[in-house]
Amino acid sequence: MGRRGESFMRYSIFSLARNAISGHHRWPRQWPDATPREAYSIIIIGGGGHGLATAYYLASRHRISNIAVLEKGWIGSGSAGRNTTIIRSNYGLHENEAFYEFSMKLWEGLEQDLNYNVMVSQRGILNLYHSDGQRDAYVRRGNTMVMHGAGAELLDREQTRRIAPFLNFENARFPIMGGLLHRRGGTARHDAVVWGYARAAAALGVNIIQNCTVTGFQRDSQGAVVGVETTRGPIRSEKVGMCVAGHTSQVGSMVGLKLPIESHVIQAFVTEGLKPVIPNVITFGAGHFYISQSDKGGLVFGGDLDGYKSYAQRGNMPVVEDVCEGGMALMPMIGRARILRSWGGIIDMSMDGSPIIDRTPIDGLYLNGAWNYGGFKATPASGYCFAYLLANDTPHETAAALRFDRFREGRLIDEKGVGPQPNLH
Amino acid sequence: MRIVCPYCGDRDTEEFIFRGEALGRHPGLNSDEYAMFEHVYHRTNLSGKTSEHWYHVQGCRNWILVERDTLTHTIYSARLAKDGES
Amino acid sequence: MILKGIGYVDEGLQIEERQNVAFASILARKNQNGETIGELIGGSLREGPLTTILGDTVYIGTGPGSWLATSSTKATDFADNLATKLAGRASVSDQSGAYCVTRITGDRARHLLQRGVAINLHPDVFTTGCAATTVIAHIAVVIWQIDISPTYDIATFRTYSPDFRHWLAHSWRSF
Repeated sequence: MGRRGESFMRYSIFSLARNAISGHHRWPRQWPDATPREAYSIIIIGGGGHGLATAYYLASRHRISNIAVLEKGWIGSGSAGRNTTIIRSNYGLHENEAFYEFSMKLWEGLEQDLNYNVMVSQRGILNLYHSDGQRDAYVRRGNTMVMHGAGAELLDREQTRRIAPFLNFENARFPIMGGLLHRRGGTARHDAVVWGYARAAAALGVNIIQNCTVTGFQRDSQGAVVGVETTRGPIRSEKVGMCVAGHTSQVGSMVGLKLPIESHVIQAFVTEGLKPVIPNVITFGAGHFYISQSDKGGLVFGGDLDGYKSYAQRGNMPVVEDVCEGGMALMPMIGRARILRSWGGIIDMSMDGSPIIDRTPIDGLYLNGAWNYGGFKATPASGYCFAYLLANDTPHETAAALRFDRFREGRLIDEKGVGPQPNLH
Repeated sequence: MRIVCPYCGDRDTEEFIFRGEALGRHPGLNSDEYAMFEHVYHRTNLSGKTSEHWYHVQGCRNWILVERDTLTHTIYSARLAKDGES
Repeated sequence: MILKGIGYVDEGLQIEERQNVAFASILARKNQNGETIGELIGGSLREGPLTTILGDTVYIGTGPGSWLATSSTKATDFADNLATKLAGRASVSDQSGAYCVTRITGDRARHLLQRGVAINLHPDVFTTGCAATTVIAHIAVVIWQIDISPTYDIATFRTYSPDFRHWLAHSWRSF
């Protein structure tokens, strides 16, 4: 890694041993908190996983390191710190599956790439099916996954029972008939992903500027974006990239961007720590409920959107009830666990349920957003493809379909086929 | 969140279905392609006070025009959509 | 312990399933209202979530310009008769097979209902003649109060009535 300013320690068994001897008091800080300069080549708005990954890939793959990442709070304080940490490439449509499989391959090499333990755990994802029709749909989805190299196995009831004997197989309304197993899916540690990208980007000279809210855009006489106004003063830049997830419409409204996006709140829950009980990620096919167990032992679970637009980062009781009912129907044993915390995150739902990585109609302004439920798992590929777009002004091949114009031209990427009704995706 | 339905009174949001921003009328079948595209896909998606359509499916089964703050979840008003904007 | 079609009696609480209840829905035509429709049947239908009693029929307000008419009768022509009377001013359709009605009465009736109904049933705001279309345990219900005992009638869609009874039994047990 090229290094500037501060010295960066490479993490290894030797650095661990050395610091163990000195009682772990001498670890250097992982990345410096920068103050803004007057101008940069590229400004990334948003210091979440996607923004920091974009900066890292710009610096490491495109040799552009005169970059600032502007974060209004602290890095990873938005959706990057509120998701349920699942990584997967199990989509049914080609445009999505190609992109998420690319992301999965990046996850598989991420720790070596970043020299950071992001705790990627390929424990497998089991999507349960409860009817013949749902099995057929999973066969089709599994075939798409296999064709993209993601791998998929269709399990029958007994094979499913061997993996997760605690499930309620005898549910009268929704008997478990089997599952689609995606062995390479699993979880990663969300905070470590943010910090790993931040450290690796900062080591290559990227400025990470926290507590710096973008309040407007600088435009030239032709209307092109040439910088931003912030709470820490104006900063000029040749290009500006937005990676602001749930707040895409708000930032976009500063330049009058009209977007096919609604911001919705989705809730998540974690129980007290338990001994290992749930071996992988399990999703209920007959209701909105999914669950995994964190390395600390807490059961991390969630369900559907609250269903109404929200920027509140907190949800309402009907969905709490719905999620818990789903959990009790699927695995009655979790009724014994006590919920420790619940929270809400804001996601930018698009009109077809799929993301956008594209130039905006305004010169100099680029957009990475509309991540729907897929933000966390997309982090590496999102950063990689957005960096490619910012560096070359043409889309990366795996993100070539994730464009604005698909809505106008009717080339929607609508996994569920529900149309322009974001709360149904 | 509770919505005061103009017919039924104070009710939990569980009884309602959220449709989306109150977008105004469909541009009509003779409108140009861009107007249709705008109507179908573009949303203002404001953070703050906004007008929305909710359907009271588990109540009077009427469309309700609700003024609500998307940041605080405060509900300012609710009236029957068929009575139009006042 | 409860129902199976006959009823349950306890101190301060009686529950019975009403038999032979006819139902019909009334939807006002354009420019018609409770007054213009009511004058064809000897009165005026109150607008709002309220009941109007005309003869042996109770008209329950279920929405703007819509009522659920119900009567204790074995007659099979309840809806047809109503449709004939209201012709031109309202559309009437027979709902007699669609609903089951449970009557809950006694001191503890309000307490029992309040375990499932997310609206205020306090006598200051919900009393004799009041009605509500709402949900209990995700089951759609129409509730109207008959007297100040209090007595409530609760109509549920017929296919949901076993689930409603399940909720009733469960809530009663947890008193």
